[in-house]
Amino acid sequence: MVKPLKSLIFALATGCAVLISGPALAQSGDNADDKSVAQSVESLKKQVIRLNRDLFILEEDLLFPASTQFAVFVSVDTGQFLKLDAVKLKVDGEVVASYLYTERQVQALERGGMQRLYVGNLKTGNHEVTAFVEGIGPDNRAYKQAATLDFEKGTGTAALEIRVQDRSSDYQPTVSIVAWD
Amino acid sequence: MALKAGILARKRSTWIAVSCLWLMASAPGWANEPAPERVQDLRYGWVLYNYHQGQAFDALTQLSVASVQGGIQGHGAHPALVEGGLLLSYGMTREAGELFTRLLGDDGKGSALSPEVRNQAWFYLGKVLYLEGDYQLAEANLNRVDGATLETSEPELYQEWLYLQARLAGQLASQPDPDAIGQFRDQLDPNAIWAHYLTYNAAMAELADGNGEAAIATLAELIRQMEAEAGDSPADNAEQQALVEKSRLSLARIYLANGRFDQAFRTLELLSAEGPFSDRALFEYAVAAAGQGEMDRALNAINVLSSRQLFSPWLQQVPYARGYLLEQMNRPAEALAAFQEAADRYARLEAELVTARTALNEDSLMARLEFQQDGDGKMTDAYGRLKVIPSDFGLSEILATESFQQALSELHDLYRMQAFLDDWQQQLASFELMLETRQLQRTARIKATRQALAEQEADQWAAEHQEYRQQITEALAREDYQFFMTAEQKELKTRLERVAESLAALPDDERTQRQRAQYRRMQAHFDWMIVDDYGVNRWAAQRQLRELDTAMAEFRSQRQTIETLMADDKQHQRLSDRLAARETELTSLRQELELALSEARGRLMAGVDQALLEQRKQMRSYRVASRHAQARLADRLYQLQSRQGAGDE
Repeated sequence: MVKPLKSLIFALATGCAVLISGPALAQSGDNADDKSVAQSVESLKKQVIRLNRDLFILEEDLLFPASTQFAVFVSVDTGQFLKLDAVKLKVDGEVVASYLYTERQVQALERGGMQRLYVGNLKTGNHEVTAFVEGIGPDNRAYKQAATLDFEKGTGTAALEIRVQDRSSDYQPTVSIVAWD
Repeated sequence: MALKAGILARKRSTWIAVSCLWLMASAPGWANEPAPERVQDLRYGWVLYNYHQGQAFDALTQLSVASVQGGIQGHGAHPALVEGGLLLSYGMTREAGELFTRLLGDDGKGSALSPEVRNQAWFYLGKVLYLEGDYQLAEANLNRVDGATLETSEPELYQEWLYLQARLAGQLASQPDPDAIGQFRDQLDPNAIWAHYLTYNAAMAELADGNGEAAIATLAELIRQMEAEAGDSPADNAEQQALVEKSRLSLARIYLANGRFDQAFRTLELLSAEGPFSDRALFEYAVAAAGQGEMDRALNAINVLSSRQLFSPWLQQVPYARGYLLEQMNRPAEALAAFQEAADRYARLEAELVTARTALNEDSLMARLEFQQDGDGKMTDAYGRLKVIPSDFGLSEILATESFQQALSELHDLYRMQAFLDDWQQQLASFELMLETRQLQRTARIKATRQALAEQEADQWAAEHQEYRQQITEALAREDYQFFMTAEQKELKTRLERVAESLAALPDDERTQRQRAQYRRMQAHFDWMIVDDYGVNRWAAQRQLRELDTAMAEFRSQRQTIETLMADDKQHQRLSDRLAARETELTSLRQELELALSEARGRLMAGVDQALLEQRKQMRSYRVASRHAQARLADRLYQLQSRQGAGDE
């Protein structure tokens, strides 16, 4: 009585195993094809990256020529005393950008990344830039701080950095705007 | 089975790859938890922002932009190292390999980077190539790792490195070299999980060679060792516990294959009821129990399995096995019902599979897959593979295969590229519109400027300037004192002439004589004054002429500049040319992409279609077997009832 059961179940099990392993065996046979497809996809990716680069540069040349380009970046140093939540940017009294951060974006900033918050055009001459930074500060309290910078825009590209830093002297965050050469 | 261990190894390695790619990115500090350094280059900061969010495409684009705009300053070779990590995570393994080779030198020692960083680059490249099945290249890159340095800096990676080397020694040669494998095994920490994986794979190799007894001994020893290491808290190491379960299941199967039901039964009893292999173990348990003649136990196990969702293809044999067990237990009525139920189930599944195959297209396939998503879209692992689970049993097995995963990832990548190119296509159309608008505005401005220039009557000004110049030149040649007289002198001259006319009309008396004498004195003084002022007057006139020359030259120059600007449209033309070139490139790339998509789609569909066909065959064999059993049992029951009826009569 046992023997037929055993043989049948094994026959079924073996059949099943053979059927299941079919595609796996076929996979090893198609390895060269897989590799060649992977290579062609890789080549396409390379071309698309290059095209994206060229289009990115073209877009900047068209919309934000070097003579008037003005960009503002955001950086966070360690972020121990401030969990960044949002940033608002005013240029000459007008709000030009406001941004709410996800957890992942905050982590990317805390790991040394810099976000390009805003890019636009600005005439040569004197301008005023104000940044409002919001988040959760020490003791888990809502924190809001602003920083202002008066700067002179020359004939080349201008770049500013909104820098959120930890100040260990009083365990408070600080916000400043720094001009890049 | 070795494949399963490989998959386990891959799962384990994923998070390590993520964290270590991060270490590579922040290599300047080079510590286990490096503090991020302030970036010296805005573009690099931007790259890192994308990089840390897993946005490899954007980060690679920014690196590429930087490379054509003077490169990234102040970070040495680290941007290139980051690029290598990004290429790996974006599935561009070969590009990453070339970059690492360029960066680190063929011997792996040709750069100023620390040996630890170099080691990681080679290690991860080798590992990704190994996972892709490119064993030759994987070995070449893993051989570049400096073992001694890796052992000191990253002891865990060192163990994995030895494991991979040992696996390659077994996989690359036509005949596995036991000495080479043994050499790596000897260097492995005997308590490391990698040593256990290696032992497990060695047991599977022994089994494949037909040496079941050796495989049993190897697996038994492996289980004993891992249990001893786990001590009282096996749950502390989930991965090792999973390997213990896997080893037990494999061992039980070998016992079953050799008819050693008792040992199989005892081995399976030790398996966890809630572990990853519990269903499989329960089934094997039923087989072992039946093998020992303990039908009730076997039926209980099968009943437990029947109550679960029969998701995997191999579990589809459970309904048939239940009927069969009941029949063997001499419960024909229940067995008949069980076979009836099983046959109906198989018929239904078969119909579903036929429908699924008939209606198989990309949309229906995707509808049967659940892609794990987060706020940033579909989730992928560190190697760019999609996190996906099947929503029906027909796809569960094929989804586990590397080729299907690769095809799915490729399709996903290709679609993302297509969506991206579509976006750019629209963007370029708006750029074109913008350039056309700018051109129209420019034409209107040129028209207005021409009108303004015409109103200036420039030719008339030039003619007057020329005439004035000529008059002065001629007067100079004539030494014409009067020409250079000042306005006052000219007025004085006019008045003297009027006086002369008046004197000429007067009678010639004494008073007139006096007046004429006075006139002559005044005229003489005037003549003397004109001659005396000639030099000054001439110089003043010449100075005015020079000033006029300068003004006229400037006027001509400005007109020339305006004319040039109006005639010359180089900047606009350059932008238009660039736009046209990118549009051509975009169109060509879209065509290539369409072709690649079609191929990838075809490969994926063919794989799924084949899998569904195989499953349909399987369901049919189960259904036919169930119907045969039904017929057999119905006949038997009929005969029994007939005999009982005859007895009653």
